[in-house]
Amino acid sequence: MRVAGGLRTDGAALELPRRRIRPAEAGKSFALTFLMVAILAGFLSPLAQSFLTSLKTPEQITQLKGPVYPADPQKFEFEGKTYDVYQVPIDGTIRELALIRKGRQESDFLDPANPTAGPITWQGSWRSLDPAWRFTPHFENYTQVWDLIKFPRLLFNTLAIAIIGTIGTLVSCTLVAYGFARFRFPGRGAMFTLLIATVFLPGAVTLIPTYTIMVKLGWVGTWLPLLVPTFLANAYDVFLLRQYLLTIPREMDEAAAIDGAGPLRILRSVILPQAWPAIAAVGIFHFVYSWNDFFGPLIYLSGAQELQPLQVGLARFNGVYYQNPAFIQAGNMMTLIIPVLLFVVFQRAFVRGIVITGVDK
Amino acid sequence: MTQPVPVIDTGPISRLRRGRFRMTPLTPLARREARWGLLFLSPWILGFLAFTLLPLIATFGFTFVNLTLNQKEPLAFVGLANYQRMFADQQVWESLGVTLRFAALVLPISLIVPFAVALAINSRHLRGSRFFRVLFFLPYVVPFVAGLLIWQQVLGVGGWINEGLRFLGVADPPEWIHDPAWIHPALVIVGIWGIGAGIIINLAGLRGIPTELYDAARIDGADALGTLRHITIPMMSPIIFYSLVLGVVEVFQYFLAPLVLLNGTGEPNGQTLFFNLHLYNTFFLFQEMSYGATLAWLLFGVILVVTLVLFRTSRRWVYYAGER
Amino acid sequence: MRTRMTTRVAWLAIVALIAGACGTSASPSVSPGGSAASQPPVSAAPGPKALLRWYCCLGTGEDPTQVPTEEKVAADWSASQDLGDLKIEIVTYDAARATLSTQIASGNSPDIVGPVGLGGLASFEGQWLDLTPYIAKTGFDLGQFPDEAVQTFNVGAQGQVGIPFAIYPSMVWYKRDMFDEAGLEYPPHEYGATYKWPDGREVEWNYDTVKELALKLTVDESGKDATEAGFDPESIVQYGFEPQRDDLRGLGAYWGPGSLAAADGTTVEIPAAWQDAWKYFYDGMWKDHFIMTGPVAESEDFSGGGYTFFSGRVAMSLNFLWTTYGVADAGTDWDLAAIPSHNGKVTSPLNTDTFGIHKDTKSPDAAFDALTYLHEEASDTLLQLYGAMPARPERQDAFFETLAQTEGFPDEVDWQVVKDSAQYADKPNFEAPVPKYNETINTLVKYRTKWVATPGLNMDTEIEALRAELQAIWDS
Repeated sequence: MRVAGGLRTDGAALELPRRRIRPAEAGKSFALTFLMVAILAGFLSPLAQSFLTSLKTPEQITQLKGPVYPADPQKFEFEGKTYDVYQVPIDGTIRELALIRKGRQESDFLDPANPTAGPITWQGSWRSLDPAWRFTPHFENYTQVWDLIKFPRLLFNTLAIAIIGTIGTLVSCTLVAYGFARFRFPGRGAMFTLLIATVFLPGAVTLIPTYTIMVKLGWVGTWLPLLVPTFLANAYDVFLLRQYLLTIPREMDEAAAIDGAGPLRILRSVILPQAWPAIAAVGIFHFVYSWNDFFGPLIYLSGAQELQPLQVGLARFNGVYYQNPAFIQAGNMMTLIIPVLLFVVFQRAFVRGIVITGVDK
Repeated sequence: MTQPVPVIDTGPISRLRRGRFRMTPLTPLARREARWGLLFLSPWILGFLAFTLLPLIATFGFTFVNLTLNQKEPLAFVGLANYQRMFADQQVWESLGVTLRFAALVLPISLIVPFAVALAINSRHLRGSRFFRVLFFLPYVVPFVAGLLIWQQVLGVGGWINEGLRFLGVADPPEWIHDPAWIHPALVIVGIWGIGAGIIINLAGLRGIPTELYDAARIDGADALGTLRHITIPMMSPIIFYSLVLGVVEVFQYFLAPLVLLNGTGEPNGQTLFFNLHLYNTFFLFQEMSYGATLAWLLFGVILVVTLVLFRTSRRWVYYAGER
Repeated sequence: MRTRMTTRVAWLAIVALIAGACGTSASPSVSPGGSAASQPPVSAAPGPKALLRWYCCLGTGEDPTQVPTEEKVAADWSASQDLGDLKIEIVTYDAARATLSTQIASGNSPDIVGPVGLGGLASFEGQWLDLTPYIAKTGFDLGQFPDEAVQTFNVGAQGQVGIPFAIYPSMVWYKRDMFDEAGLEYPPHEYGATYKWPDGREVEWNYDTVKELALKLTVDESGKDATEAGFDPESIVQYGFEPQRDDLRGLGAYWGPGSLAAADGTTVEIPAAWQDAWKYFYDGMWKDHFIMTGPVAESEDFSGGGYTFFSGRVAMSLNFLWTTYGVADAGTDWDLAAIPSHNGKVTSPLNTDTFGIHKDTKSPDAAFDALTYLHEEASDTLLQLYGAMPARPERQDAFFETLAQTEGFPDEVDWQVVKDSAQYADKPNFEAPVPKYNETINTLVKYRTKWVATPGLNMDTEIEALRAELQAIWDS
């Protein structure tokens, strides 16, 4: 990042005026960090559940008293049949025995170490026993999802649509927001109201006329309905960028203007460096939106399977009659990676504001 | 929107305040400025004319005819019949009521929680803020429907929320998704997973506050709360305003979660019959295009009124450092 | 002055708008007025092949394992003749209705839609091409199907909207190991047979017997069944019975055939057998605890990813033949049994699948040719793919032979039960069209959703409220 007019610098510069930590500060740090870790644990635990589900077979998901992690009861094979091994309390000790005959009042077990000794009858309900669990994750769920939906092809499509659309959104929305934030012209207020009002009508209702336009243009079955509009700005991102630009004081634009810089120069060398956090936010929003968009690609690409993105392919695991929860979540995990990596790269944009004098917020 | 006049005592901000309302006719210079402005707006103007205006007009036209998918009766102009039907439709008013009640619950939360988390992440007291940034962002990337399926399990029978509550001694935890009293809180909990976007917006806003203001505040002897009130919140007000307006739009158009979780039936006991769900059912399930479009224009009107009110009041509390 | 620019822009916008509006509004109305096309147009001279779109999935067909076969069938037909090229469009079920509505309303309707059931056809009433003239013109032999199956798709004024493709009878699916563990006899496989209790009692195989059995087969964590003292309904780990809860009409039809419409076609009348079924279902959930409540059936432990029987934690379940796609998850010891009787009468609700042609198709002849290809050359392949029993009687034995080989199925499933059940199909079919079809279904789903989640309801009041609500919808 370049230094913009000396007013602020990018995140890298501020990592570290390290100061000495006083005991009171350390206490505050500990309390806040601890609190945030606790909140985060609750916040993310469904995601952990999703990950564990992605490693299970359908049997493991519905297993009686199954643990949260993917586990199979230990099996014992004897005379061509397979039995589950349970932890059976006999004479004060817990023995791992194979259940060969289930009964309501009493059940028969075999000792896997000594099966020929004959069945051991145990009084009680076998349902009250815990199986002998063995941790058995099924990573092949991931390879199966990969193979079933032509993952590499769909991934390529998703990436291409997301990247092109993000470029379009960033370019068009920045220009439009700059126009709204920094130039005065008659009708500006009315046009801004109109811009915001375009998102008031629910998309379900405008879908049919919009789809009709795309049909007439011959764009159905191509990426154009998904890409062209991104180059023509959208209300959400223009509004956000405009709000942000309005928080930036004008001294520097004016100084640059006095130096003879034109509007494009000012945009490039004064506005953009200062608006970088908001632009990064818009870029991430559009990328994630495009990455996860399902209904748009579905409806415009239903006849062009080779052009579809991942979300359309993955939705097939969530049929109304049959869901494969493990496949859904495995697909989920696989699609999370790229947007999250992208965020990791761009997150510096959101690092705590500039430190010039060492005073913090 | 024009000149905000901050009435809040913004302390040091006032030093940065600038710009006066100028009521001059267009000079050649001003005309040049206007031309540049429209040039920068041109992508949006083009998109509006090409892809937005026609659908808007078409759906407005739908409201005066009797368009259905089946079209048993020939297509005809029906005047205001759709509007009459709408005003007599009890479900319209019930669903608006449901939507407003939900909005009253979800809007404050969706404004405060991401703001608070962003403040915490931005705080110098937090260790490892980089990890928190990434991890709070993480669920935002989960596709909405896949996220719903996870939460359905988490909130359901044997899910960890109720197991946790039982562990804490709650004998009879609620059946979240199926309990009329708990479904709105349940939907809020599910929605909290998407705060990643709000956190980013707030972090970007916090990043943009010039540090000088905090220096000045410290010199003035302001404590943490005073700084929050007199610097952070006023300086963040454009971002808060953005979140509020879009929050309103979003909550009035809310329908996907109840559609997926409860088949769009409005159960339990009508508590999820949101206005936009009623609209979606009318439009796609019952295939009544004209009546659905009429409902959509009612929604448009309601959101427009609320938004205009927000814009009016915003002049009193939103502070734009860079506006003229 | 300052307003000049605005005015200019506004005028430009209006001109552009009017030009655009004229351009587009003229074209949609050109779409063929289909409905009156009793005489098929003369087929076009051999020219470029028409592009036909096969729209899936208002029913089965979306699973990633099914798609390659469907694509191959479409390609095979395309290569086999000169009329057209067929391309399949897979739209997942959840979004399939909205997408199809959008396509139809935008004048971009597909040519062939399916596989689709009677209910799916009814929910797009008025969209289907009457096949009668094409059947006559090509000499397609309807005689190869049972007449009743043909009549199912002859829908009043809309004509013959489909040709029988697949049928899915329904029966009892049960877990042998659970009966073994409880020391109980299996349910009877033959219609008319009795059920024998361990004490030697022989009783009629009816829903009372099912309830008595199901209570014994509903077991809590500590191993106590629902008839024992100390049984804890909060910690049930195995349920005795599961009806077909997708659709209240279907649920009712297991107790007896019927229709929501009285003879006049405009009055709502809820069949007495359906009312019995719904009360049985409700009490089974909330009073006797041998049927899962809604929240339990939704949980990962019990949902089985679609049907609770797949979880392997239900002893007996009513369901259609198409559940073969997922039943392997239930374990390796399930089997089929006869549907119990209600008031001395047995009913096996029947699901049917077919393909429809949209009335606005630009190439009806090519579409009909493709349709007959799906019904003839490709039918064995597709039927196998969908786990669907052929509507043609002479193909059924071969179908069951292949079905029995399915990987993961028990060795000795009594498939004869399926054929026998087909003899007890419900007439009228529970999916037959009624007024305001989609609103009616939505209201039924609403009441179902309420009943499965709310204890303490008075079912007589509920059923009357449902009737009144449906009547109001039909009258509007």
